[in-house]
Amino acid sequence: MSHRRLLFAIALAVATCWPLHAAAQGAITVAPQLEGDPDLDFVPLQPDFMLITLPTTLRVPRFKGAFRVTHRFGRPLGAGDFGDLAEDLFGLDSGAQIGLEYRFGLMRGLQAGIHRTSNKTIEFFSQYNVLQQNGTSPIGLGVLASVDGTNNFRDSYSPALGAVVSRTIAPVGTVYLQPIWVNNSNLQPSELVDDNDAFLLGVGARIRVRPTVYLVGEIIPRIAGDDPGVNQAAFAIEKRTGGHVFQINFSNGFGTTMGQIARGGTSNDDWYLGFNISRKFFRGNPSGLSPRPIP
Amino acid sequence: MRRHVIAGSMLLALCAVSAACDEKLSDLTGPTPNLQPTLSSIQREIFDTTDASGRQACTNCHTAAGRNPSGLMDLRPGASYASLVGVTSPAKAGAIRVVPGDPANSYIIHKLEGRAGIVGTRMPRGSVLLTEGQILVIKRWIELGARND
Repeated sequence: MSHRRLLFAIALAVATCWPLHAAAQGAITVAPQLEGDPDLDFVPLQPDFMLITLPTTLRVPRFKGAFRVTHRFGRPLGAGDFGDLAEDLFGLDSGAQIGLEYRFGLMRGLQAGIHRTSNKTIEFFSQYNVLQQNGTSPIGLGVLASVDGTNNFRDSYSPALGAVVSRTIAPVGTVYLQPIWVNNSNLQPSELVDDNDAFLLGVGARIRVRPTVYLVGEIIPRIAGDDPGVNQAAFAIEKRTGGHVFQINFSNGFGTTMGQIARGGTSNDDWYLGFNISRKFFRGNPSGLSPRPIP
Repeated sequence: MRRHVIAGSMLLALCAVSAACDEKLSDLTGPTPNLQPTLSSIQREIFDTTDASGRQACTNCHTAAGRNPSGLMDLRPGASYASLVGVTSPAKAGAIRVVPGDPANSYIIHKLEGRAGIVGTRMPRGSVLLTEGQILVIKRWIELGARND
């Protein structure tokens, strides 16, 4: 059965890449158009594709990619006194749950990617940004679909569907509202549990406090369905330098895939140090150096 | 428009692949793949049957047929519900065999898991033990109210 799932995933990847291949062949002649792709513009109030664990509505430019690494150190910051904490370098000496992620722009507004965490969970995700905030739309809107599977995508699968709504409030920052449904968030058979799905309502914000420094926060309450543990929450400070975003974050859980987030944080008394580093593998439009006007 | 259709199709494909991803109960219950959290199923698969793992049927000892049932608990069909649900164990004061809705405080679970504080040995005695999945199903039956279903 698990092999069939794996074959399905491979078939999906091939099916997803086929139109890309075809489009790429056509793109040889239209490549110069990419220079004018507005998705290559730098968006100062939405500098990255993710908040901390939740997505943003920033588009991945067509045929461009981005990489991200996530770390969540396993030592609760509240354990022991300050001396103990300093001795462990605020948790950096402890083991961590590490995530590696790559996303790619398949076509304008559509991205797909893969995220693997060190507990052997693999998540395939895709997001289509339907609306961008501009003169005709007061909000940005994306729809997302993902599926994560434990044991290197062989055992338990948790698909998710959701929407990402963003509203940029210039020149302060961007706020997000993200209703997301996660199926099979409880990894027990449905006969043994009351709820096998979770409905999340992610709320987040990124505030620009300096030209390249941001404060980020998010909380992801489970408003219906399965809700073990506590609602995962996190806050962070981040610095953007060119194509990199360096983020130090604090969270009450280790989840970075939708299934993991749906299973909640560990405790509101335990907070953990972590960091995200993202890298865009493309250069923005030269005109993008001046921020795109946002109404 | 074409772009929206292609993007929507790809998202739908991902949804179709990933839909209905529930775990199979039979993957958990090992030697009793048909076990369900109902009394009739537990009766058939656990109480009455020696399964493929070699675990002995409970009714080998817990029967009033021609003998006094072990622990004064008769687990034969038709008698098990009255022997279990809301019944105090004669071996341990205050311990109730099955507390509907409360598997954590049901003494049968303590005996099956071999918890500290039980009187006598872990059940099934001298036999292959129940798997974690089988115990989970019994817990779920209790959690759902321990109905005579």
